Formats: sequence, structure tokens, C-alpha cells
Amino acid sequence: MLGYLDFYTTGFIMLFTNVFGVLLLLEEVARSLAVASALSGTGTPGWRTPVDCVKASDMCNQSPQCSSRFRIMRQCLVGRDRSTMLANRECQAALEVLQDSPLYDCRCKRGMKRELQCLQSYWSIHMGLTEGEQFYETSPYEPMTFRVSDDFRLASIISGMDSAAVKSNPCADSSKPCNPCLDAAKACNLNDTCKKMRSLYISVCSKGVFGGGTGSGTGRLPIGAEPCNRKRCHKALRQFLDRVPSEHSYRLLFCPCRDQACAERRRQTIVPACSYEERGKPNCLELRRTCRSDPLCRSRLADFHMNCEMTVHSITSCPNDNHQACLASYVGVIGTDMTPNYVDASHTNFTISPWCTCRGSGNQEEECMAFLRDFRENTCLRNAIQAFEYGSDPSLVPVPLPATPSPRTFIGPTIISASTPALFGPDANGCLFSDCASLETPLDLITESSGTSQDVGDDHSSGDQTCTHPWMTVLSCLMVRLAL
Amino acid sequence: RARGEGRGSCSLREAVVSVTELGLGYDSDETLLFRYCSGRCAARRRNYDVSLEHMKRAGLLKGGRRNKVRRGPCCRPIAYDDDVSFLDNNHRYYTIHEVSARACACV
Repeated sequence: MLGYLDFYTTGFIMLFTNVFGVLLLLEEVARSLAVASALSGTGTPGWRTPVDCVKASDMCNQSPQCSSRFRIMRQCLVGRDRSTMLANRECQAALEVLQDSPLYDCRCKRGMKRELQCLQSYWSIHMGLTEGEQFYETSPYEPMTFRVSDDFRLASIISGMDSAAVKSNPCADSSKPCNPCLDAAKACNLNDTCKKMRSLYISVCSKGVFGGGTGSGTGRLPIGAEPCNRKRCHKALRQFLDRVPSEHSYRLLFCPCRDQACAERRRQTIVPACSYEERGKPNCLELRRTCRSDPLCRSRLADFHMNCEMTVHSITSCPNDNHQACLASYVGVIGTDMTPNYVDASHTNFTISPWCTCRGSGNQEEECMAFLRDFRENTCLRNAIQAFEYGSDPSLVPVPLPATPSPRTFIGPTIISASTPALFGPDANGCLFSDCASLETPLDLITESSGTSQDVGDDHSSGDQTCTHPWMTVLSCLMVRLAL
Repeated sequence: RARGEGRGSCSLREAVVSVTELGLGYDSDETLLFRYCSGRCAARRRNYDVSLEHMKRAGLLKGGRRNKVRRGPCCRPIAYDDDVSFLDNNHRYYTIHEVSARACACV
């Protein structure tokens, strides 16, 4: 443990020496921005938060030059033969103009109003920017920790854990049968919203699957002709995951199992017969192409890759140790063409995969395997799921993953409890996320050494430099994040 | 609420039961909230009920004892909850409807 910490801190120090100069520069920029906002007196936060792409395209449409280029750009990307179209001089010129517009660095929020429209606007310019298709794409979603709503969501997960810890735990008594997945279903059924939304997706997804087994009598679909309406099923699943508090949905998806009956119930959560399985298994790269042709699927996949990418520099092996962000973006992929699920009902060692295979990859076999590995052998995702499991059920003893020589070994649920106060505690120093707590000291040093125009806009200075300018901290954290 | 209706008058009650315990022939340990209607409806008697009771006692109705009529309003659901879906113990999904009450009235 101590060794890891050392590794961790040296990593940070090294990063700081690298990022130091940039941070100083940023500090100056941020200050001048603060001056500008103080002068204009609009009361808006001092730095430019990324505009959402719906607003950005509205802004673009107000300028005749921008709107015409935007229209051209969309036409350039419509065709099947996108690469030759993009080589076109007019398309290139349009792209150049758009790079200076607010559309260039706009972002979307998950579950926002007109989310699909936002994502379409995002990709209409970013598809042109990425020459050819990259293995990992930039997520169009705002970083998880910037959003208040998401902090709220995460807080609800944590509080869900707390309440679960307080409640009497059936698994503690070994004489009684214990099925955490069944308990999760119970908790959901006793909550009106959860019960309603769950029943909704189950009835949509199981229609026709079992040959009229739904007992609803509305067997309009001829049995055997069409297994189920996959599109409607996916949509209902997404609605369930969007609207139901994550304390309920996550419990159903990630319940910790000790026997096969439980694990089978967990596997069945998303009604895999309709939402997951198909007659044939497509090639994974083929499936990725299908996914990327749909703005929502493409975005959710990019978000998953960004938040669940295995990192050597962190304890949980998740980017910035933010495994909640990984869980959330994993859940985001459910209900798209790339829907992942548990591949079997094994309770000892779970494997997660989208419904695809690397057979028939030809010369792209390596790329395909790498893509599939991000689901099947992803330590970050695995740790995130297990941390949720153990967090929600503290009586279970953490089972370490098979030992690996790399520093990516799993370190029990302590991580959650350690990061919780920094994230949600009342003494969070106004910082938005846990990273800031660990950054406090070096940032203080920076602020003091470059503190020339400190008095600008902080009459209520309480002595703690880091947190009188929370947005500066955010900015700095962003830099570290990018550097990682 | 009309006067005279206090505790024990017709209202929605709930019970936590397993799907198996519903007695519909499903085998599932999943738990759900069963809402039902229960309570007295004495204060909800209409002139119809009073007249009917009187005429029955006086033997003014044809058919005598074999003519089954209810002398008072009874507490019944006037709306049912949404469909409820569950996974049974053989890992099959089922959806049942009109199994739980949403609102009650003396009808």
C-alpha cells in the first residue's frame, strides 16, 4: 500500500514539474478572464465553460457565414464516400472556418434536453476533424465531475451504499438463502418509479421472446417471425437507466453474487434475449462501425473508452481513480448497438462483453482483440464493478483479482470510503472533486508564487487560495487530467 | 370525505408479498407491493341501498331468498396499478396486469 502511494505521489510530482509552466500560464489567462468578467459585471463564472452543442449551433446559425459553412460541412459528411468528400476544397474551407466557431469545442450533457440533436451537432464537425477513424475517439460528453447533477447521482449511489450498510444484511446470516440480485429487484419493486420503468422495459423487451409468455394477451407479433422489437427494447432500457435513480438501477446491474441463480438473474437484468443476443455474432469491428454510424452509440462508446480506459498511473487503474465515472459511462452503453452484458452466469469470475467476436477479422485481428479486451479484460471496469458490489454490501469480503505483476492490482473497497469525504463531505473546501484535495498543496504554492494580481474579484477571500477560486482548481485539474 | 367516515373506512392498503404468494400460478421469489381496497362503506349508503334493504326485508322483491342483492355499497378498486413485470425462478420474464389497486371507492 505504501509503495503504491509512493508511486502515486511521485507520479504527481513528475506531472507537476511538467505541467507547472502551463499551469502558471493558465493562471494568468484565468486571472485576465476573471478581470474581464468582473468588469463586464455579468456575474457569470469567470471562465468559459464549454458551450453545449445545441447552443453552439444556434450561435452559429445567427451568423450567415458560419451557418452556410455548417450546412456545407454537414453535406460533406452525409455521403457514403466521406473521405473523398472531405478532401474536397470546399469542405476543407468549411472545416477551417468552423474550427474558429463555438462549435469546435462544444460538449453535451448526458440526459440533457435534445441530447441527440446536441450529439449530432458535435459529430457533424468532429467526424471531419478526425482523419480516418481513430481507435479511441474524444467523448462529446462533459467530464463527469463537472456536472452537479452527476455529483448528485454519485452521491445517491454512495447514500444507497450507506443505507444498504445500515439495513440488516441477509447474507450475514448464512443459514438463510442470500440473493442480492433478488433484494435489488425487491428494492426496485417497492419504489413506484423504479417498478414502473422496470416493468415497462421488461414488457417491451420480452414481448414475443418467449412465445406469449408475457401473459398480457397482446400477442400481435406472430410468434417466431420477429423475436422482439430490439429498437424499442433498447429505448425502454435507456429510459429506465436515465430516469431511475442509479441506487436502484446499479444495484440491479451490479449485484454481488455467490451462486449461479443470482448470477443468472444478474445476467438477465437487461433481458439479453432481446437487447443483447442475436442469431449470429458479428465481428467486433463490424459492430463498431454500426455503432459509429449512430451518433448516440458513437458518443456513449467514446465516453466509455475515455472513462474506463485502463491506466497504470492510478490505484484503481481507472483514469483519475474516478471509477464512478467508468461505471456511469459503462451503463451509458447499455441500450445501444454496443450493449455489453455478462457473458455467462458464472458467479466466481464474471466476464463482460458486447455481442461480438473477433472471428473473421482478417488482417485487423490485432485491432479487434484490442477493442474486445477493453470490455473483457478491463481492470478499471472490473474494479469499478467490484468496488460498487462490495461498497453496497460491506459484509462480503473483497476477493482480490488474480495477482498480476503490474501495479494494477485491486485494492478493496477502501478506495470508496477514502474518496467519499473529499467528494461529498461538508468540508470539501468547495472543491468539486476528489482530485482537488490531493492537489491542494502544490496549487497553493503556485498561487502564492504567481500572486501578483490576487486582489481581483475576491473580496471574500478566506485565506484558502485554492478554494476561493474553485474554477481555477477545476482548470488546473483539467490540465492534469489532459496530461494523464 | 363525508361525515361519519373515520378510521376503517374504505381506503387503499398495502402488503409486501412475493409473486408466488399472489396465487396466480407463477413461481417467483421476487417481492412486490400489493395494494388492495379495504374498509367500511356504511356512511356511503345511498337512498338506493336503504330502499333495497327495506324492500328485501318486507318481502317486496320477487324471487325471495334466491334473489341475491347487496344491501350496501362495497369497497372496490376503481383503478388498477400499471402492469408489473418480474423474473420467475426459471429465469423467464412475465408481465401481469390489473393485479394491484390504485384507487378505491364505495361502489
